[in-house]
Amino acid sequence: MTYDSTQSPYIVLNAIRKGYRIGSETVPIFSNLDLEIPRGDFVAIMGPSGSGKSTLLSMLAGIDRPDSGSLCIGTCLLHQMGEAARTAWRAGNMGIVFQFYNLLPMLNAAENVELPLLLRPLSSKERRVRVEKVLDLVGLAGRGNQHPKLMSGGQQQRVGIARAIVTDPPLLLCDEPTGDLDRKSAEDILGMLRVLNKEMGKTIVMVTHDPQAAQYASRTLHLDKGIFTEERRAAR
Amino acid sequence: MSSNTKQAFAMITASLLSLPRRISVSLSMVFSVALVVCVLAGFLSMAKGFETALQSAGSQTVGVVLGGGTNQETGSEVPSSIIRTLNAMTGDIGIVRDATGMIRSSREIVVAVDVKSGDAGTNRTLALRGMEAAGPGIRDNISLSAGRLFTPGSREIVVGDRLARELGFNVGDTIRLGESEWTVVGHFSAQGSAFESELWADFDATRAAFDRQGQVQSLRVRLTEPAALSVLRAKLATITGIPLVGVSEADLYAAQSDRTANLIRLFGWPLALLMAVGATAGALNTMMNSVSDRIVDIATVRTLGFSRLSAFLGTWVEAMLIAAVGVLCGLALAWLIFNGWQASTIGANNATMAFQLTVTGGVMLNSALLGLLVGALGGALPAIAATRIPLIAALQSRG
Repeated sequence: MTYDSTQSPYIVLNAIRKGYRIGSETVPIFSNLDLEIPRGDFVAIMGPSGSGKSTLLSMLAGIDRPDSGSLCIGTCLLHQMGEAARTAWRAGNMGIVFQFYNLLPMLNAAENVELPLLLRPLSSKERRVRVEKVLDLVGLAGRGNQHPKLMSGGQQQRVGIARAIVTDPPLLLCDEPTGDLDRKSAEDILGMLRVLNKEMGKTIVMVTHDPQAAQYASRTLHLDKGIFTEERRAAR
Repeated sequence: MSSNTKQAFAMITASLLSLPRRISVSLSMVFSVALVVCVLAGFLSMAKGFETALQSAGSQTVGVVLGGGTNQETGSEVPSSIIRTLNAMTGDIGIVRDATGMIRSSREIVVAVDVKSGDAGTNRTLALRGMEAAGPGIRDNISLSAGRLFTPGSREIVVGDRLARELGFNVGDTIRLGESEWTVVGHFSAQGSAFESELWADFDATRAAFDRQGQVQSLRVRLTEPAALSVLRAKLATITGIPLVGVSEADLYAAQSDRTANLIRLFGWPLALLMAVGATAGALNTMMNSVSDRIVDIATVRTLGFSRLSAFLGTWVEAMLIAAVGVLCGLALAWLIFNGWQASTIGANNATMAFQLTVTGGVMLNSALLGLLVGALGGALPAIAATRIPLIAALQSRG
């Protein structure tokens, strides 16, 4: 699937304001942020530390809310939803890939991947089939019994991606997914994200510091001091 | 299985599987809960053992006539002529009569005597009960386990099994009681009840040896049936002179046991509760440590869509399970240390009363509930904290 600018946007941020209170003062992150991301797009967000990348990703993930403005993903108005509703929304609509994988160390790879499926009305057999399928998809077939501490960083991130896509969510959020990996592993992971975007139609928003990682996206947005300063589209 | 149950189960599993990371602090919680349970079980088993010893001594079909305005044998005084008076009464007076029409009764007196015991030769105060020949037969559940009963008029004693074991009184031994020597002629069993802490001797020989001529402390009678006590009371009310009361032997010992058992509990519960407060603080610390240790894991699964309830249960159930292990250890310890332990205290006649600590089901239940309460309270606050982890800060704390 390729990006089509004529499509109606899947993610719409409108006039977002967000700040953090430090003592009695509020430090503004976003004063008036607008953003539209069509369904099936692969967007990389770059910018220096403190530019608001992680805050933006947290809002897209529904674990943080804007102070004002509207945040709409699909048909859901996240800015109006309470904590419990956003938790339920996360379970059904998005997968998240963390920089440091965030695998539960006491569980093996398959059990980690199975976690989001526990939120679905599936039998254990159905869950096992899905887990095996996604582990195969990320190149870890037969490694389900392995514990994360016995895996390389690249393998752990593959488990992280498998966990993010096992429920087949339309949206994939990636927080520096290659930030802790060597170049070769990083390329494997980014290649995998591109496949998920192109072949499975996942909408991907990836925060990264790495310009080479951003090249895998179809669109790169530069964020600085809470505003988008530059946009670059990849050649079709 | 519903989604909530599966989430909770996954969180609990992850929580328990991560326990080896926190083994020392978790073991300290197990230890403190075990200590609370063990101490409470110790006190309760003491109270229970004391109650059992006294309550099993009493029978509802044995009446005790007391005089002088007291409900206890200590301080009671019954006129010597009491038997004549009761025998003279016609009709049903609630007391069993023998073939000759005489009532089945035993006048009794209890004297506190000092006895040298053990190799150290320390003095123990024991209860020497003088009774008439019918005395042992009136009581329920009494049997001779060795030797024979005392001969009327002689300075012979039969010793309760528990006392004989504890002080090493063998049949044929001579013991100095007061100014005179007494010969042990038998042992009796009272099925572990308080009677086994007594020395029994002839009524007149006891009165003569201790200069108590003319004194009668109580009259034990065999009632025709438990309900006959009210008939006896009515008859006693017609006797003028010293006011007399009739109580069942069971009630007499129950009253004695209640006072002491309640006193033991009065010490035991506050001590155990104080320790429980300390253990709860320890549990709180342990579980806060657990939440802190798992903060990224909890934040991660919450980000994946796990509910607050599952985060709560993951922590709270861990606390309850650790407390349960502590409870099991505490109960096992209490059983090994206390169950069957022979203890003694000063009984109603200012004499030593031996009893056996008993870790019963009730004792275990009460102790276990206190231990689990420590886990429930100590785990609740950290479990609530687990539901309120700020996800963004927790996720950023890795790396």
